Amino acid sequence: MKKYRTRKGDGSFIELNENELKAELEQGTSDAADRGKISPLSKEELQYLFELFTYPSKFISVEMGNEVILSYDAATLKVRRVGVSTHRIQSLQVYEKLLGADMLEFDHVDYSIKPVKPIITFEQPELEQALLVTTLPLYYGAQPNLGLYNQPDGPCPNPGELYAAGKISEAQDSQEKAVEYAVSDMVQVGSEMYESGADGINFDTTGAAGDTDFLATLKAVEILRKKFPDMCIEVGMAGEFILGMHGGLSYDDVRLAGLYPHKQIELAQKAGVSIFGPVCNTKTDRSIPWNSARAVTYIKECVKNSKIPIHANMGMGVGGLPMVDHPPTDVVSRASKAMVEITRLDGL
Amino acid sequence: MGVGDPPGMAIAHSTASGMGGMRTAGDLVARMQMSRGMRIKEAKEYVASKLGVSVIDLVDPVVMTEIRQDLNIGLTTPLPGYAKGMEAKFNIAKVLEIEINSVNKFKERTKR
Amino acid sequence: MGKEELFKQAMDAIISSDLKKAEEIAKKAIGEGIDPMELMSRGFRVGITRIGDLFERGEMFLPELIRSAEVMKSVSELIISALPEESREKSGVVLIGTVQGDIHDIGKILVASLLKANGFEVHDVGHDVSVETFIEKAQELNVDIIGSSALLTTTMKYQKDLEGELKRRDLRDRFKTMVGGAPVTQRWADRIGADAYGEDATDAVRRAFELLGKS
Ligand code: B12
Repeated sequence: MKKYRTRKGDGSFIELNENELKAELEQGTSDAADRGKISPLSKEELQYLFELFTYPSKFISVEMGNEVILSYDAATLKVRRVGVSTHRIQSLQVYEKLLGADMLEFDHVDYSIKPVKPIITFEQPELEQALLVTTLPLYYGAQPNLGLYNQPDGPCPNPGELYAAGKISEAQDSQEKAVEYAVSDMVQVGSEMYESGADGINFDTTGAAGDTDFLATLKAVEILRKKFPDMCIEVGMAGEFILGMHGGLSYDDVRLAGLYPHKQIELAQKAGVSIFGPVCNTKTDRSIPWNSARAVTYIKECVKNSKIPIHANMGMGVGGLPMVDHPPTDVVSRASKAMVEITRLDGL
Repeated sequence: MGVGDPPGMAIAHSTASGMGGMRTAGDLVARMQMSRGMRIKEAKEYVASKLGVSVIDLVDPVVMTEIRQDLNIGLTTPLPGYAKGMEAKFNIAKVLEIEINSVNKFKERTKR
Repeated sequence: MGKEELFKQAMDAIISSDLKKAEEIAKKAIGEGIDPMELMSRGFRVGITRIGDLFERGEMFLPELIRSAEVMKSVSELIISALPEESREKSGVVLIGTVQGDIHDIGKILVASLLKANGFEVHDVGHDVSVETFIEKAQELNVDIIGSSALLTTTMKYQKDLEGELKRRDLRDRFKTMVGGAPVTQRWADRIGADAYGEDATDAVRRAFELLGKS
C-alpha cells in the first residue's frame, strides 16, 4: 500500500499507509471526544483531513476567502528568541511590516505580570512610543504566572512543598491567598497599560498554575471590564483542561478544575473576555495527523459554544503543531488550514 | 501564536491562513473583533461595507493598497506625505467609525 | 469473598482515598494468606494508576491525588511489614528536579506525586537545579534513579550535560537516568544516552519500575 510522509509531534518524519493514517485521525478525534465529552469529527471532516495530509504539495493553504486574523503573543520576545538583537519597537515593526501580523503585542522579556509592576513606569513610556509609530492594534501582554506568588519567589507558602508534606488544606489556603495578590497585580498592570493607550491587554498562558491561575484571571477580567467597558481583553490558555492544583475553586458556581475549552469559554464570556484563545497541547510521541484531529475536535466545540471571537493557540507544541524549535512548514501549513476550515474560528 | 523562527511559524501561518495585516485589511478586521466583539464573518462584512469593497477584496494586496492610499489609513511600503503610525490610526477610527484608545489619548494629551 | 473481589475493593479504596477501608482490606487479605505482593500489584497499584489516568484527563485533582497517595503509603507500609524479613526489599529511591534555567515545575510535581504514590521514596529538589546539585544530592541520598524535567528547548541541554558529567565523574553506572518534559522525546533520550524517557506521569512510573527490574 502507498505510504504517505508525515511527521510525529516531535517533528520527525514518519511514513503511514492509508489505513494507518485514517486510524490516526480517528483515534485523535475520539481521544478528544472521550476526554472532553464532546462530539468527534464527522466522517466528512475526517475525509477532509485525510485528503489534507495526503496532498502531495509541501505547503498548502486555506481556500481564498477563508483567511482569519493572526495575533502574535509575546511578539517582542520572539525576534530576540532567534538571537536577532532588535529593540522592542523594531520587533513590532518587523511583525507589522515583514511578517503579515494583524495584531501586535508589546511585552516585557520576563513576560509575567508580577515583575512588570515595579518597572511599570518604564514600560508605559515605551509602550506609548510604540503606539505612535505602529498602525496595527497593539496589546500589552503578560502571563498571570501565579507560581511567582509562592515562596521563594513570593509571599505565599509553597503549595508544592505543603502538598508533599500532606498538608492539603494549608496548600489550598496558600493558593487562595496567591489569587488575591495576582488579581490585584493584573488589575493594576491592565489598567495602567490601558491608560497609556494600549488597545487592550492579553493575559497569556492562563491556567499555567492550574485552577488558581484561571480564577485569578477571570476575577481580574471582571474588574477590568467594569472599569473599562471598551477595553479589549484577550485571555489565552495554557493547556486543554484546567489542572486541579487546588481542586475546590469555582467561578459563578462552576468548578474550574477539569474544565475543557468548550466550558472554559462560557466562564470567560461571563467574566467579560473579548477574545478567547483555547489551547490543545501536542503529544510528541503521536503523529501530527493524530494531534491535529484531536486539537481541531476540542477547538471546534469551543467555537460552537462561543459568542465572542476565538483565536486558537497555534504555536510550538500546541494546536496540533510539533514541539520543536524549527517547525517544518509542511505540517504547520496543514495544521493551520485544518484548524481554520474545520472549526471556523476567528483567528490564530 | 508563534515561537521564534518566523519562517517556521509566523510566515507559515500568514501564508497559509492569514489575512495579511497592513498589506491588506487584516488590521481593520482585527479592530472590529477587538472593539465590537464581532466574529470573523461579521467583521469582514462590516469593514468591506465601510471601505466600499467586496469581502474578497479585503485580502487582496493590490486592491487594498489602492484603497489604503485613497483613505490614507497606513501603508506597508510608506509613501512621502501619507499618514503613518498614529496619523493613520486617526483616519482608521473615522473610516471604521470606532474609538481607538491611543487616538483618544493623543487628542487628550495634545489639548491645551 | 473471592480474591478477585478483594483486589477490586483494594483498587476502589485507593480511588476513594478511604484509609480505613484500605487497611481493613490489607489486614483481611494478609490474614487469609493472600500473597501481599499480588494484592499490591493487582489491587492497590491498579487503583493508584487509575488515579493517575483520571488526573491526566482532568477528572481528578491534586488534593485527591495526594490523599490517595497518603493511603497508598500507609497500605504499603502495612504490606511490607507482612512480608518475611528477607523479601522486604527497599522500594526505589528517586531524585527528581527541573533543570537549570527552567522554572516549569507542574509536570515534575505530578510525576513526583505519582512515583511517591507507587511506593517510591522521592526527593524533589525543585526547579532551576544545576547539574552539580543533581549529582551531589543523588550521591548524598544514595538514590537509584535521577529524573530530570526540561520544558524549554534551551534548557534540554542540561539533561545532556548531566549525562556527560556523570560519565566524567565515573558515576554513570551508579545511577539510572530518566528524562521528561514537553519537548523531550525518546529520540532525545537515545541521543543523549539517558536510560529512560517518560511521556507522562503514568509512563514515568512504568519506566521507573522497569529501570529497577520490577515491572
Ligand atoms: C505552564 C507553562 C508555563 C508556566 C509554568 C508554571 C510552572 N510553575 O510550571 C509559566 C507561565 C511560568 C511559563 C514560563 C515560561 N515559558 Co512556558 N509554558 C507552559 C506550558 C503552556 C505548559 C507546561 C505545563 O505545565 N504543562 C502541563 C504539565 C502537566 O505537562 P508537562 O510539563 O509536559 O509534564 C508532563 C510530561 O512532560 C512528563 N514529564 C515532565 N517532567 C518530567 C520528568 C521526568 C523525569 C519524566 C519521566 C516525565 C516528565 O510528565 C508530566 C505529566 O504528564 C508550555 C506549553 C507546552 N506545550 O508544554 C509552555 C512552554 C513550555 N513555555 C515556553 C516559554 C518560552 C516560556 C518562557 C520562556 C516565556 C517567556 N518569558 O518568554 C518562560 C520560561 C521561564 C523559565 N525560565 O522556565 C515555551 C517553550 C518554547 C521553547 N523554545 O522551548 C512553551 C512550549 C510555550 C510556547 N509554545 O511558546 N510557562
